[in-house]
Amino acid sequence: MAIDLAHARNLMPLLDEGKPDARGWMTRRAAAGLIAAFVIITPILPGNLPIASWVGLGMIYVIVGLSVNVLIGHAGQVSLGHQAFVGVGAFMGALSTTRWGLPFLLSVVVAAASGAIAAILLGVVALRLSGLYLALITLAYGEIAEKVIFNVPAITGGGAGVLVNRPAGFESNVAIAYLCMIFVGLALFLDWRLMKSKAGRAILALRDNEIAARSVGINTTYYKLFAFVLSGALAGIAGALLAPWARSVNAATFDFKLALTFVLMTAVGGLQSRAGIFVASAFFAIFPLAFNQFTIYVLIIGPLLLLLTLIQFPGGMGQQLRPFTNWLTGGPFSMKREHAGISSGGSGGRP
Amino acid sequence: MLTFIIIGIIQGAVIGLLALGIVLTYKGAKVFNFAQAEFGTIAAFFLVLFTQVISLPYLVGWIVALAATGAVGFLFERVVVRPLFNAPRVTLLVATAGFALLAIALELRIGGTTTQQVPPIAEGVLVRIGTFNVTIQQGITLAIFAVLAVGLNYFFAKTDLGLAVLATSQEPVATELVGIGTKRMSAFIWSFAAVLGGVAGMLQAPDTIFEPGFMTRNFLLLAFTAAVIGGITSLQGAFVGGLLIGVFRQIMNYLDVTYLEEAPILHGIPGIPELAVFVLLVVVLYVRPKGLLGTEA
Repeated sequence: MAIDLAHARNLMPLLDEGKPDARGWMTRRAAAGLIAAFVIITPILPGNLPIASWVGLGMIYVIVGLSVNVLIGHAGQVSLGHQAFVGVGAFMGALSTTRWGLPFLLSVVVAAASGAIAAILLGVVALRLSGLYLALITLAYGEIAEKVIFNVPAITGGGAGVLVNRPAGFESNVAIAYLCMIFVGLALFLDWRLMKSKAGRAILALRDNEIAARSVGINTTYYKLFAFVLSGALAGIAGALLAPWARSVNAATFDFKLALTFVLMTAVGGLQSRAGIFVASAFFAIFPLAFNQFTIYVLIIGPLLLLLTLIQFPGGMGQQLRPFTNWLTGGPFSMKREHAGISSGGSGGRP
Repeated sequence: MLTFIIIGIIQGAVIGLLALGIVLTYKGAKVFNFAQAEFGTIAAFFLVLFTQVISLPYLVGWIVALAATGAVGFLFERVVVRPLFNAPRVTLLVATAGFALLAIALELRIGGTTTQQVPPIAEGVLVRIGTFNVTIQQGITLAIFAVLAVGLNYFFAKTDLGLAVLATSQEPVATELVGIGTKRMSAFIWSFAAVLGGVAGMLQAPDTIFEPGFMTRNFLLLAFTAAVIGGITSLQGAFVGGLLIGVFRQIMNYLDVTYLEEAPILHGIPGIPELAVFVLLVVVLYVRPKGLLGTEA
């Protein structure tokens, strides 16, 4: 039977059932535009507070959050040593501008590549180990990076660290904030497009069931390493931005607690939720800066939020924001709960 | 060299005590307990609280601090471990790490950034080996370590409670069916692990001044390495692994200060002993993932 195209075209509106009409789309676009506009004007808000500086770090943390999410959220590989990748990026970025005189954009490329290499070393280990053992190795890896590699005097100036000049034209805090914002935009776009691609689906399959993924012909070795490379590169970029933001890089910054903060903000934000990770990462970066006389309470609130998230709301902030994000992308405003959480990473926790 | 080995054995006892706790929680909950070392810091802070702020007699304060640490472990099981009973193990692992962070933050809030100090159980030198004086405190550490290792081994092999704990970890449903309360077992395991961590922390604390999170920073990775190398399910393994890591690390330290100071490339690189321990951990996980004395892995 031939397909009656004219008739099919008459049925087309049925496919749009449940989708908003023109006015609905208008309100949604207006709301999205307002949110974007708010984020964009934050660095130039008037007042005496150094908001631009806060936004800069907030954006850097968002990139780190997205990077952690690639490994823990998408690929189901726990990483407790993420500060190592960020640190490698920060040092390589700093060295390539100060010592080798590369332009800033090239230093970002160098940092991304070094972050990716640092991550692939761990990825090779992850091919053999999973679950608990991988978590242990990543923790140890981060410690070694902090205590040994970042302290080699010939490379990083020992404990004193490296001083960094901001790139030409980006000396002000506002400029740095916008620079970081552009990279956040790129990272969000990359993550969004990736998860719509074949590679993205392969990585998700890997997380849900590695054996099943392999049995349908997915090259799990390749995609696992791919996830590590992508995550490391994003973390490296964040490091390359962190160096000029802070104007110096120091080994002591990249300690065990920073790694846990990275995991904490990603989990609290909600794994695999870009909106949640954006909000939570920016919060964990900005809150201690804005309330530095109450830093101690931030240190207490952070882990409490993590425990609460793990126990009560496995979807994190992303889960709380979902009715709204659903609505923004053309869905109804419904409070339906979905399941999310940290995956065990393939089958079992044995090497 | 001899001095380094003796220091290694004493540190190995503390590492081994923590490794025993890690093995215990692994047997009980099949999870790597990243809060194990922090239980030690918690106990050390309790010791300061009970002997210096409330000024109880030292030994009474010691025991009360240990009990309080056990209570913290019990509370942790109730509030965090139990709701995550059926969650993926990595989720629980992240929760234990989160708990350690929380504990460090609370210690900072209460104790501030100033360092703390507690006196040893008994002052004095036990025995002099070569040029190194082994203090009575260090002797007590070794003795408690040996007694606990043997005692725990007996506990798990021969007593009803010990067997019930093992049964819970292996077949929770079947264990429940024969009338053993798995929830009570879980509460017991975590309280007991906290006590073991507390013993390690309070024995180590008088050795030096300490600050919030000192046990986690100095011993957590070493204890994990010891537990994994010994075989994550084996109490004897934790015992042997602890001593092995303690001595191995000090030998590396010795080689570092004696030979590498003059070496052309490696000169000035800090943390050579830590690097060596990390390499050892990776090699063991690659070559023999079940560890030296482990039965399953």
